[in-house]
Amino acid sequence: MDWELTKARSITRRTFFGQAGLGLGTIALNSLLAEEGIAQQKLKQGNPLAPKKPHFKPRAKSVIYLHMSGAPPTLDMFDYKPKLTELNMKPCPDSMLKGERFAFIKGVPTMLGTPHKFKQFGKNGTWISETLPNIGSIVDDIAIVRSMHTDQFNHAPAEMFLYTGNAQPGYASMGSWLTYGLGSLNQDLPGFVVLLSGGTDPTGGKSLWNSGFLPSIYQGVQCRSAGEPILYLSDPNGMDRASRRRSLDALAKLNELEVKQLGDPETVTRIAQYELAYRMQMTVPQVMDIAKEPQHIQDLYGAKPGAATFANNCLLARRLVEQGVRYVQLYDWGWDIHGTGPGDDLVTAFPQKCRDVDKASAALILDLKQRGLLEDTLVVWGGEFGRTPMNEARGGSKYLGRDHHPHCFSIWMAGGGIKPGMIFGETDEFGNRIVKDAVSIRDLQATILHLMGLNPFQLSYTYQGLNNRLIGPVDAAATVQTALLS
Amino acid sequence: MDHPPYYRFLLGTFVLSGVVMFHTAFATPQKRIEKPSKRPPVSYTQEVRPILAEKCFSCHGADEKKRMANLRLDTRDGAIAHRAVVSGHPEKSTILARILRNDGLRMPPTHTGKKVTQDEVEIIKRWITQGAKYAPHWAFQRPQRVPLPKTANQRQIKNPIDNFVFAKLEQIGLTPNPTADKYTLVRRVSLDLTGLPPTPQEVQTFASDTSPNAYEKLVDRLLASPQYGEKWARMWMDIARYADSAGYGSDPLRPNLWPYRDWVINAFNNNMPFDRFTIEQLAGDLLPNPTQEQLAATTFHRNTMTNTEGGTDREEFRTAAVKDRAIVTMQAWMGVTVGCAQCHNHKYDPVTQKDFYRFLAFFNQTEDNDQPDERPTIPYLTSDLKRRKEALQVEVAELTSKNTPEAKAEIEKKNKEIEKIFIKLPVMKELPTDKQRKSHILILGNFLSKAEEVQAGTPTYFPALPADAPKNRLGVALWLTNRENPLTARVAVNRFWATLFGRGIVETEEDFGQQGSLPSHLELLDWLALEFMEGGWNVKNILKTLVTSATYRQSARTLPSHLEKDPRDRLLSRYPRRRLDAEGVRDQALLLSGMLSHKLGGPSVFPPQPDGLWRAAFNGERTWSTSVGEDRYRRGLYTFWRRTVPYPSMATFDAPSRETCTLRRIPTNTPLQALITLNDPVYLELAQALGRRIAKEGGNSLQERMRFALLLVQCKPATETQVQTLTELYNQELEHFRKNAPAAKTMATQPLGDLPAGMDVAEQAAWTVVANVLLNLDSVLTIG
Repeated sequence: MDWELTKARSITRRTFFGQAGLGLGTIALNSLLAEEGIAQQKLKQGNPLAPKKPHFKPRAKSVIYLHMSGAPPTLDMFDYKPKLTELNMKPCPDSMLKGERFAFIKGVPTMLGTPHKFKQFGKNGTWISETLPNIGSIVDDIAIVRSMHTDQFNHAPAEMFLYTGNAQPGYASMGSWLTYGLGSLNQDLPGFVVLLSGGTDPTGGKSLWNSGFLPSIYQGVQCRSAGEPILYLSDPNGMDRASRRRSLDALAKLNELEVKQLGDPETVTRIAQYELAYRMQMTVPQVMDIAKEPQHIQDLYGAKPGAATFANNCLLARRLVEQGVRYVQLYDWGWDIHGTGPGDDLVTAFPQKCRDVDKASAALILDLKQRGLLEDTLVVWGGEFGRTPMNEARGGSKYLGRDHHPHCFSIWMAGGGIKPGMIFGETDEFGNRIVKDAVSIRDLQATILHLMGLNPFQLSYTYQGLNNRLIGPVDAAATVQTALLS
Repeated sequence: MDHPPYYRFLLGTFVLSGVVMFHTAFATPQKRIEKPSKRPPVSYTQEVRPILAEKCFSCHGADEKKRMANLRLDTRDGAIAHRAVVSGHPEKSTILARILRNDGLRMPPTHTGKKVTQDEVEIIKRWITQGAKYAPHWAFQRPQRVPLPKTANQRQIKNPIDNFVFAKLEQIGLTPNPTADKYTLVRRVSLDLTGLPPTPQEVQTFASDTSPNAYEKLVDRLLASPQYGEKWARMWMDIARYADSAGYGSDPLRPNLWPYRDWVINAFNNNMPFDRFTIEQLAGDLLPNPTQEQLAATTFHRNTMTNTEGGTDREEFRTAAVKDRAIVTMQAWMGVTVGCAQCHNHKYDPVTQKDFYRFLAFFNQTEDNDQPDERPTIPYLTSDLKRRKEALQVEVAELTSKNTPEAKAEIEKKNKEIEKIFIKLPVMKELPTDKQRKSHILILGNFLSKAEEVQAGTPTYFPALPADAPKNRLGVALWLTNRENPLTARVAVNRFWATLFGRGIVETEEDFGQQGSLPSHLELLDWLALEFMEGGWNVKNILKTLVTSATYRQSARTLPSHLEKDPRDRLLSRYPRRRLDAEGVRDQALLLSGMLSHKLGGPSVFPPQPDGLWRAAFNGERTWSTSVGEDRYRRGLYTFWRRTVPYPSMATFDAPSRETCTLRRIPTNTPLQALITLNDPVYLELAQALGRRIAKEGGNSLQERMRFALLLVQCKPATETQVQTLTELYNQELEHFRKNAPAAKTMATQPLGDLPAGMDVAEQAAWTVVANVLLNLDSVLTIG
């Protein structure tokens, strides 16, 4: 692996340069190479996105990570606390405030029982908020982890910690690690795709899909469900495909002359990249066009072609993994439920956010399942930290909401090697601290890598004298959560 | 007496960019020529350690937790104590016995998949026979001057660089490529020194200059041009993590930071010696009576991020910024990575956790503490603003004599205007003595977990702070630029080398430590480092030395023998051809199309980018107000750099986000890059402009125009096949657009605008397609 990487970093870097047919240009190239005596092998070796052998047999081939940016209040969703409801609006006991740092809460806050009703779903009678009827209906297919915790309680650092293993920017993101470790199954599409909804980028910004110290080919490519699917994908106005083809043919011819004259293998790669770009111009819009889906599938998700919605992105995610994309990351903005006003409160804003994602999240699981894709696709749903069992009441706000809380929160996972229908971990009766089976961010990272067939302790990259890993430098800090695995 | 540089500096006797004795290098005595003995001494650093490091150290190295059999092979004592190595007796050394076994006791164990090869066994044998000498890490020893190596290739040699490079090539049976043709050379050196290709006139001037020093004259002209400073400032911007926004969540804009960027441009253009460049950026505020410019230099370390997200702890992110300053200082100047030492002692290099926090303590005394308003700042005045202010003050003085109500009102108005004339520039400012902070070791780097208190100090392994240096940031700067420091000059010249040759002599520019790569030419690196220091840290001189070497002037042609014997061109058997960097791709297209603005410095600009990209959290700024007029066509260096949303076309060409210090951009070659130069409206507009330029300046016949176009973009005369290929394309496109008038109109005018009178729409549409191809030619995107 390291040797491959060294090559990837240093000899040349050839994205998407697969062995699949490369069109007319390639044939000419092959003969050129033979003529010049340049080993073709060198070129093939150089493709860092070619599928690579995992460390062991993987449980999943692709990941779809649904991130609720802003940190959803999971006490109002997946972790039912009748005791908290009993104490609603009663002063918070001293014991919970001792030594506690809050982002916004000042003085002695009151406890906040959920204003939403909970209902039992599935075979196990799992309590889930009525704001999530569709996710409730698939509860037997997913595993809910009620005992997540993190080190960070500001959004940007917490999101960076979750996705790059470090609260500061500059590190490689999970999708980059996976494409670095495994390559991609489709050379005509990016291996790591990012889809955004909610009208705002996630707090951590582009760092969340940056390749950090890994070569930039492992960087996430942001695709858009509205407008041009990838920036600059369309030919210029006034240019038709035939013109583009003719101009690329002329370009290839001139560049081939260059190879003959100077023999630079990188020129050969460049010729191939232009051919690939030409092919991507056709394949990407096709896969990104959700209007091609039958109406009943669009309805299942609540998708509406042309909008930048979470529902559309879920449907796109399915289409992308179907085509062999290794890692699809969704970010949905708007979950920072502080209760400072009607725009971020627990009574009106929060149920709206639930409506944005409930149906589509469930549809994704159902749709993957009915296509037989769920067993090869790991789906993760969650935020970057939890929210307090206390009402924030910032500046005396009358709206209900919760402050940042790193000590516990819930996420759920499904598919690719995850035991369906299970509840893992437990918090205390207030939802303030974990009492059983704590799962750290690093545990989650380790578990995801493990399911993809990578040893999280081995997957590393030496940079600046450090053996960097997604799970960080300390072995003891990460454990693959085998109890979650089927 | 030989005063150290800081001494001169403090005395204020800095000699600005005097002519240094570049030629002294040639006078280096060559009396002792090394004769290869029959059994050449094995180099621990170059030959033995790489084997042990790859195959043994993971279980028998510095990491106690992973050490097996309580045996360590990374120190001589460790190896000897267990008789793994018995000096002078390979037959008694268990290390060899175990390597040579064929059973389950073989080392390294079979399950590791590693095996020591026969050649490697021979090296280890010889090494033990010769006394099993360990050597301290090369980079932590002072550079040594050695006699210049002999080379058979006396005819091609231009300066001592070539002795080192050619001698190594000869060892593997290669000779350097012949000198590149003049066309190739003028384009290469222009791009490398100024970031811009030469104009057809400049190409012509050089091609027809037959004087023996034609090339030197060219180099001197380029080094003297203001574009030189722009090009080299770009390199420093990545290190300074300069950006026009604060980073994190809402990523607020920092529209006032550019005077620092301009300071760097001016420093390069004025050939500020590198030691002074260091001192002013790290500690300009601590110099006696600092000038405005010396304060602006300290913005270097105010490029750290500020977290304005609600509910953040100021101390947490102040600490993060201070750590960043300590880490970046060590890394940018000394190539030593200390980031890991914030949690634990460095596993490979001699930097302890305590060292880290002692070093950090130097940077822990500035006033700034993660405030959204970025205080402390200075009211910075450019010369234009200063003139404006003075003019207003004169007017006020004149009005004062009038003493009428109108005059009073006018004075008030003007005074208000005067008050507003300044740029609020964040700078480093030391806390007063009585308010200085205590510094502690932080457990696992956590700002809340303070352990032992520490006093400011440099890492103990390295030479101490000069005796007369103050114990503050100024002291750090003097320590870095002291002749005793083994790394600063090496790291700097290596960076210059990497900028000109695509890769450093030490490839891991960011890591000169034990985990970094070994130098391909250690003696050359040392020679350059010593030249640099002895020559007064003169940047232009050292660059001139590099680009006038025969090594630099070779042709780039790759031969099969190269791929066989020097596949990665580490030994420089040919000029290392490579793609232009992100800014270079943009700048060149601007210049070729005739659209480039040569305006130097000033606020960052907003060239077109797709709508709706700025969508930062927490009501962050969302409006990208596309620049109008010449600011639309400025060099990439001036493009507004928002950390969370870097300018997309440059990011695709490997420009970093500048959230952290980047010491090396890793070049990629991807289809997304092709999409940019083919389809980005910015590049289409430049193709349209280039098409019009060809029609206007290229003569009358199609042939003439095609030759002009190819000469313009490649800086060398076109070949017949090139002309023919593009003429065919042109004719096909012309025919196509003649039949499709609306498409032709769009292709020729959007977004650049209406054609000048007399230009034919279909022709210009066809030229746009041709120009689009020209700007995508490998020979154009590449420095060859």
